[in-house]
Amino acid sequence: MMRKIFLVARREYVENLRTKTFWIGIVSFPLIIGLATAVPVLLSKAKEARSYAVIDHSGFLLQEVEEEVRRDDLREVIETLAAVYREDANRFERLPEVLRQPTLAWLGIEEEQRQVLVAELAAVEADSMARAKLSENVRGRLDALGLALRQWWQGVSVQELEDMDLELSRSRFVRVEVPAGVDDPQAALNSMIKRDQLFAYFIIGPDPVESADQCEYVSNNLTDRDLRRWFTGKASRIVRQRRVARERIEPEVARWIQQSLAFEGRKIGVDGAVEDVGFKDQARQWAPLAFSYLLWISIFTSIQMLLTSTIEEKSNRIVEVLLSSISPIELMSGKIAGVAATGLTVVGSWALCFFLLVVVVPGLMGAPEDFLSHIPVEPLYMVAFLFYFLVGYLFYAAIIAGIGSVCSSLKESQNLMSPIMIVMMIPILAMLPIGQNPNGLVAKVLSFIPPFTPFVMMNRAAGPPALWEYLLTTVLMLVAVVLAFRGAAKVFRIGVLLTGKPPRLQEIFKWMVFSEGAAAVPKEEES
Amino acid sequence: MAEAVILEEVEKNFGAVKAVDRLSLIVPSGCIYGFLGPNGAGKTTTIRMIMSIFYPDAGRLAVLGHENPLAVKERLGYLPEEKGLYDKMRVAELVAYFGQLKGLEPHTARLRAKEMLERFDLGDWLDKRCEALSKGMRQKVQILITLLHEPDLVILDEPFSGLDPLNRDVMRDLILDMKRQGKTVIFSTHIMEQAEQICDYVVLINKGRKILDGSLAQVRASGDQAILLDYDGDGAFLSQLPGLRRVNDAGKQAELFLEEGADAQEVLKALVQRLQVRRFDLREPSLHEIFVGAVGGTDDA
Repeated sequence: MMRKIFLVARREYVENLRTKTFWIGIVSFPLIIGLATAVPVLLSKAKEARSYAVIDHSGFLLQEVEEEVRRDDLREVIETLAAVYREDANRFERLPEVLRQPTLAWLGIEEEQRQVLVAELAAVEADSMARAKLSENVRGRLDALGLALRQWWQGVSVQELEDMDLELSRSRFVRVEVPAGVDDPQAALNSMIKRDQLFAYFIIGPDPVESADQCEYVSNNLTDRDLRRWFTGKASRIVRQRRVARERIEPEVARWIQQSLAFEGRKIGVDGAVEDVGFKDQARQWAPLAFSYLLWISIFTSIQMLLTSTIEEKSNRIVEVLLSSISPIELMSGKIAGVAATGLTVVGSWALCFFLLVVVVPGLMGAPEDFLSHIPVEPLYMVAFLFYFLVGYLFYAAIIAGIGSVCSSLKESQNLMSPIMIVMMIPILAMLPIGQNPNGLVAKVLSFIPPFTPFVMMNRAAGPPALWEYLLTTVLMLVAVVLAFRGAAKVFRIGVLLTGKPPRLQEIFKWMVFSEGAAAVPKEEES
Repeated sequence: MAEAVILEEVEKNFGAVKAVDRLSLIVPSGCIYGFLGPNGAGKTTTIRMIMSIFYPDAGRLAVLGHENPLAVKERLGYLPEEKGLYDKMRVAELVAYFGQLKGLEPHTARLRAKEMLERFDLGDWLDKRCEALSKGMRQKVQILITLLHEPDLVILDEPFSGLDPLNRDVMRDLILDMKRQGKTVIFSTHIMEQAEQICDYVVLINKGRKILDGSLAQVRASGDQAILLDYDGDGAFLSQLPGLRRVNDAGKQAELFLEEGADAQEVLKALVQRLQVRRFDLREPSLHEIFVGAVGGTDDA
C-alpha cells in the first residue's frame, strides 16, 4: 500500500518538476524580493542630478543656504564615517587621516558640541565665539586638523564622495550660476528650462524674513518635488533663525518653542516590564503578515496544481488503468502527497533563498542590516509556517481532490470551486485588520474555524496567541483534516470513474453521508 | 486451478439502477471468454468488479482462486474501454511506471518496458513524449502496459472498438497468442461476429442478467439450425417465402429459419428461380440470431 502511494507521489512530484508553474513558483519569490530591494535603489541611482539656479533679490539668503548645505553634507559625511567606525573597523583604518580624526572627535561629544564642530569645520573662516563652546579635547583636534579637513572638504569631488558610498545633496542637486551680463536673467533661465538645460530655478523675494512675497519656483516638472522641498527646508530654517534674532528671542527659547511633542513607543516585555520599541519590534509586528500571505499563496498554488492533475487524469481516461493496479484511496493519497512534496520544495526554496538573502545581501546591497537579520532569529515562525502549510494544504487538498474527481474539465470545476475561493478570500481580506489587532475578537473567532486557522494563526503570531489557543486550534484543525480526508475519499472513489456532467453539491454530500456507491451512475448506463 | 473467475449470484446496484443482477458464471483457466451484450448490459460493471474497482453489493466472487480480488490484483492485466496516457511523460518511463504499479521491481520494469516497446516496433519512441504518438501507437502502448507484468488473467473491455481492420487483426493475434501462452483472456464486445471468431466460451448478458453461457459450440447448438444464404438480387420476397419461420436479411446475405417439417430443398428451388444464389449452407445459427432470439424470449417472460 505504502509502496504504491509512494510510486504515485513520486510520479506526481517528478511531473510537477517539469511544469512551468513549478519553476515560476521557485523563481517568483527571490525575484519579488530582489526587485523590491533593487528597484528603489536603482531608481534613486538612475535619477540624474537636478540642476537649478537661484535669483536672489534678498542678497543674503542664497549664500546662507549654501553654507547650510555645506554643513549638512559634512555632517552626513561624518555620520556615515562614524557608522563605518562602529561596524567595520578595518575599513575605517584605511580611511585618510584627515577624515578619521574628526570622526573620532565627533564620536566623543554631545549633540550641541557636534553642531559647533560641524559648523567650524564647514565654515570658510573660524568663529572664535563658537569655538569657545568646544571642549578642550575637541578644540585640540580641530586645531590640528581643522584646516586640512576644510581644504579637503572644499576640494573633494562628487565622484570621490560617491566612491565612498556617500549620498550627499551636492550630488543630487547642482546649482548653476545665473547667466551674467544679460538684461533679463529670468528670460534667460526660462529659455534654459525650455531647452532642458535647467531643471528649475528659484526666485527669492527682496525680504524673505518679512514675508514670502515674490518668492517663486519655476520648473516644467512639477511632479518631482524633491528639489523644491529640499531648498524650501534649508531656506526656511535660515529665515526662521533670522526672525528669532530680529525679535531678540534667545535661540534656546526659540528652539524650545518650535519643539513638537513626541510620544515615544514602548511595549510590555515578556517579564511584564516596560521596554523600548526598536525597529526590530516593528518588523516583528509585520513579519507574520508577510508570512501568512506567503502561506496563502503557497497553499493556493499547490491546490491548483492538484486540481489540474486530478482533472487531467480523469479527462485523459488514465484513471481506470490506474485503478486496475491501485485503489482509489492509494491514488488520492499519492497525488496529495506528491503535490505536497512539490509545494514544500517551493516553500523550502523560498526559505533557503530568504536565508541566503539575509546572510549575503545586506553586505552587497548595503540594506539596513537590522531589518532582515532578526527575522530568522524567530525560528518559530519558520516552524509554524511549515506546520500550517502542511495542515492547511492537507485540508484544502482533500476537498480539491474530491472536487477534481467529479469534474472532467477545469471549466466544469469552476462551479464547484467558487465556494472554496470565497472561503479562501476571507483570511486574505482579514489579513490587515488581524495584523493590526492580533488578539482582537475577529482574530480569535476566525482562529477556531478550521478553514481559516492556518492563515489566521500565522497572521496572529506577533500577538502572540495564548498557548491554549495554539493547542485547541491545532486539535480542531487536525480533526478537520481527518474529516475532510474521510469525506474526500468517499467522493473520490465514486467520482473518479464518473463521466458526463458533474453531480450537484447535494449529491456529493449524499455520497459522503451514505455508504459507498450509493448514488453513482455507472458509465454504461449513460451511453 | 481450473477456474480463473467464479461469480455466484453477484449483484451491483447504482441507486435504483440494477447494473448487474444475480449474475453467475465460471471462466475456465486458459480459455478465451467473451462477455457479449448490447451497450449498457452491465459488461463493464462486471469487469470492474472482477478488477476490484467496484465491489459487489451481494453474491460471491473469486478471481484466480482468491475471494479477495485485491490479493491477485498484480496478476491481472486490464485494458479499459476508455484509456489514456500521460501526455507529458516519456513512453518508456510511462510503461515502466505502470509496470511498477503492478508490483514489478523498478529495474525489471524498465528492462521489460524497453523489450516490449522494441518488440512492438516502438523502439524509436522510447524517449519521446506520449503526446507525439499516433493513435495506433497509443493503442499499442496501452496494450503492452496491460501485458508488461505477464498477468495470468487478461481482461479487455471492448478491445476492438476504434481499431482499423489492420489493428483489429493485430489485436486478434495478440489475444490468440495470450491463449497459447496459457493465459486466460476475458474480453467484452457488443459485436457478435468478433466473438464468434475467437471465443472458446461466451456469456450473453442483457440488462444486467445472464441470458445464456457455455462454450461457443454449446451456445450455438442451443439455437435452431439455420440456412446461410449468399445471394445477388432483390431479396424483398424472402420474408413471404413459404416454409420459413424467420428471415434475417442483410441484403447480400441472409439467415433463414425453416418451419417445423419444412424441406430445405423446396426452399432452395424457390430461391434459385428468383435470385442468383452464391451460397446455400445449412448450419448452426449465428450468435447474433441466438442473442436476438434469447433477448426476445426474456422480454416476453
